Amino acid sequence: MTLLFGLLIGVGMGALIQRAGASSPGMIARSLRLENLTIIKFMALTIAVGTVATYTLALFIPMHFDIKPLYLAGVLAGGLIFGVGFAVAGYCPGTCVVGAAEGRRDALFALFGGVVGALAYTLVYPALKTTLLSRGDFGKVTLASSLGIPGLIGALALAAVLIAIIWYIPTVVRPESPRGVPKA
Amino acid sequence: MSDATASGGEAWAARPEPISLSTRSLPPWARLGILFGLLSAASIALFGPIGVSGTYPRFIGMFWRAADPSGAANQSYLVKMGAFLTPESMLVVGLLIGGFLASRIGRASGTRAPALEVIHANETTHGRRYLNAFAGGVLILFGARLAGGCTSGHIISGMTQLSLSGMVFGAGVFATGIATAKLFKRGY
Repeated sequence: MTLLFGLLIGVGMGALIQRAGASSPGMIARSLRLENLTIIKFMALTIAVGTVATYTLALFIPMHFDIKPLYLAGVLAGGLIFGVGFAVAGYCPGTCVVGAAEGRRDALFALFGGVVGALAYTLVYPALKTTLLSRGDFGKVTLASSLGIPGLIGALALAAVLIAIIWYIPTVVRPESPRGVPKA
Repeated sequence: MSDATASGGEAWAARPEPISLSTRSLPPWARLGILFGLLSAASIALFGPIGVSGTYPRFIGMFWRAADPSGAANQSYLVKMGAFLTPESMLVVGLLIGGFLASRIGRASGTRAPALEVIHANETTHGRRYLNAFAGGVLILFGARLAGGCTSGHIISGMTQLSLSGMVFGAGVFATGIATAKLFKRGY
C-alpha cells in the first residue's frame, strides 16, 4: 500500500516540478545567478505551506516523520559539492528524472552522471564512514527540539520568515536581455 | 541557439509577477508551490517524507546484487541502503510518469520535447552541454549521498520537518550554487 502511495505522490510531484519549470536547466541557472527567482520562491512556498500543514496534521494524526541526522562535516561538505553540481548541470537528482521524462536529452546525461556519482560514493563510503561522517554528529535535531518549542510554533515561525522573504524580494531581478545583445 | 533558449525556457518565466492576493490571482509558481506543500505534507502523513537521491544507490544495488551477489554483499553502503523496492523508489517511477503526462497534456505544442537549453557560455556544442550535465550529475549525487539527502529529501522535506540538517545542507547548496553559477558566463 505504501508503494502505491509513493507512486501517486511521485506522479503529483513530477507534474508540479514540470509545470513550475523546475525541470528546465535554464530556469535553475537563472535562479542561481539570482536573475529570476521563480523556482526559489516556488520552493520556499512549498516549504512554508508544507511545514504548517505537516505540524497541524501532527496534532490530529500520527505522522511518519523522518528527521535526517545532522553530522555537521558530512552534511555541509555534501551541500557544498551538491551546489557546484547543481549550477553546472542545471539539474538536481529529481528534476533530471522529470526532465528525462519530458524528453530533455541533457537530463539523461545528468541522470547517468548521477548513477556514476552514487557508485563513486558507494566505493568511498567505507573510508568516509570512519572519518568525515563521524565528525560533529548532533543526531536528529530540529529547530523545535533544539529550542524546546512545540513543532507547530516552529513551523509557523519558519513559514512567516519564508513568506516575508517571498513577499519582499522580486521574482524577476534581471529581465531577459534582447537576444543577440552581448552581456557586460 | 536563440530558438533553443526561447522554446526551452517556460514562456511565463520572464514576466514579472507580483503577488496580489486581493485580485485572487496568484502567479502559477505560487499555486504550484501551495499544491507541492500540501503534497509533501500528505507524503509524511501517508508513508514518509519525499526524497529522491537514495533511489540511485538502491538502483545500483539492485543490478550489482543480480550480477554479483557476494560482491554486492561486501559493499557496506549498498547493504545500508537496502532493497530497491521502497515507496521512495516508486516515487521516482512516479516522477517519470507525472513529468511525462504534465509535459504532454494540455499543451498546444503537443508531443514535442523541449529544445536543448544552453545555460553556460562554454556550452558551444550540444556535446559540451551534455558534458556539463553529466559532470554536474556526478557531483549532485556524490554530494547528496555524502549529506544523506538532496533538494527534495534535505531542503524540501528536511526544512518542512524543521530539521537543522536540511537547513545546513540548503545553506551549503546555495553558497556554492550561486558562486558557481555566477562564475560561469551565461549561455542564454
